[in-house]
Amino acid sequence: MQTVSLKNVYLSMLLALILQLAPWAGYGLLIRPDFILLAVIYWLLRAPHLCNIGTAWFAGLVVDLISGGLFGQNALAYAITGFFAVSYQRRLALFNIWQQAAYVFVLLVFTQCVVMVLKLFAGDDVPQWSYFLPSVSGILLWQFVIFTRLGIEPASGKN
Amino acid sequence: MPRVLEPQQTPSFFVRGPSPFTRLVFFSAFSIALIATDARLHYLDEVRQGFAALTHPLQTIANVPSGFFHSTSDYITTHTSLVSKNRHLEQKALEQDSKLQKLQLLEAENEHLRNLLGASQSLSQPARLGEILHIGRDPFSHKVMVNLGTRQNIAPGQAVVDGDGVIGQVTRVYPFSSEITLITDKELSVPVQIERNGLRAIAFGLGKDNVIDLPYLPVNVDIQKGDRLITSGIDGVYPAGLAVAEVVSIDRNPDLSFAQIRSRPLAGVKNHRQVLLISIPVTEPATGEVVNKSARGADRTLKLQPALPQPTAQPVPVTPDANR
Repeated sequence: MQTVSLKNVYLSMLLALILQLAPWAGYGLLIRPDFILLAVIYWLLRAPHLCNIGTAWFAGLVVDLISGGLFGQNALAYAITGFFAVSYQRRLALFNIWQQAAYVFVLLVFTQCVVMVLKLFAGDDVPQWSYFLPSVSGILLWQFVIFTRLGIEPASGKN
Repeated sequence: MPRVLEPQQTPSFFVRGPSPFTRLVFFSAFSIALIATDARLHYLDEVRQGFAALTHPLQTIANVPSGFFHSTSDYITTHTSLVSKNRHLEQKALEQDSKLQKLQLLEAENEHLRNLLGASQSLSQPARLGEILHIGRDPFSHKVMVNLGTRQNIAPGQAVVDGDGVIGQVTRVYPFSSEITLITDKELSVPVQIERNGLRAIAFGLGKDNVIDLPYLPVNVDIQKGDRLITSGIDGVYPAGLAVAEVVSIDRNPDLSFAQIRSRPLAGVKNHRQVLLISIPVTEPATGEVVNKSARGADRTLKLQPALPQPTAQPVPVTPDANR
């Protein structure tokens, strides 16, 4: 596992932003994973000294800006998720890959739930079950990235 | 000496800043303040516009792969498909030419009649051709982004149409792009008229694809399956006579106070890449002149109502009492 610099963090966030901005449409839009959230969770778990709750909050604010939704709803959701990611970050080294994935999946779904609650307050309808598809595709993408040896050093597998 | 034995505060070896919980509370309070400011006070539109200008280059980069795909697939189109498409288009052009001649005749006639009546004349409106950049980010709202913005004098409220009818309305404008809310969105409503009998109503989107709702019409309303809904033009936004939707189903349940009418948008709301952005129409105030002066009695004089309740319209001072 190599050391990471701040440059890596911001470059990957920029890449995630560009992926998010790509013209998704139709089913692609429905299953598009939340790239920025995945990048934020990844860095929160792997390098908490470079990426903290403030970074997560700011990333959420950028998502709000590009999605044109209510200002601050994704920011709040990202900040809360960031809090849970950071507070269990040290325990994560004891987990194996699948437990880590389950934990990240819970974080993804939790973020979407927070955004949904905020949207319900703003007067939206309760969404269909397909609302949670981005979490499913997100965890698949996560697992793909982990298997390509960028993992958060599980207890058993020493690189 | 209990003071000495008291446990000293451990010095912090690593500077870690405030604890996660402090950060969480701070940022949560900040975002709740932002949500309230945006939802209730609408102060942040300028911030959004500025940021959109900042992300414009990133957006352009993100569009490169799909743009490349489109241009290559355009290039690889086969000869036969081009020929058949050309034939189809020629045929269509011929059909439309004949229709257009009829339309010109009707337009001239209509203008003549309007002149006679002295009613408000709607000016022909300039329109701009825009291209859809991408679908909105939120799959639960029906919005698209178009490549025209304040630089091209686009203003919020402009109507957006395609060849078949109304698509939606410009709701937010950025320097290089603008956001269009489609007529199927929950937040958009269009004043319409039934083409067959001229009944006015308001069509609402339902937030679902291909469905438009006509609420608040009584159960015994004169409406049939297949009726076309056109814009009435009384809102001052949409030009009159554009096709909006076609009635698909009517449920006249006498237990409910209103009929349940569903219709289907006629324009290809999600099909085309090119759309027309129509400027907001300018209506001249009606003069309200007396038209039938040659009629027998002055009490039969008609007072024309102005099409829009303009304060500048002068009412004709003819009252039944004045004639006696």
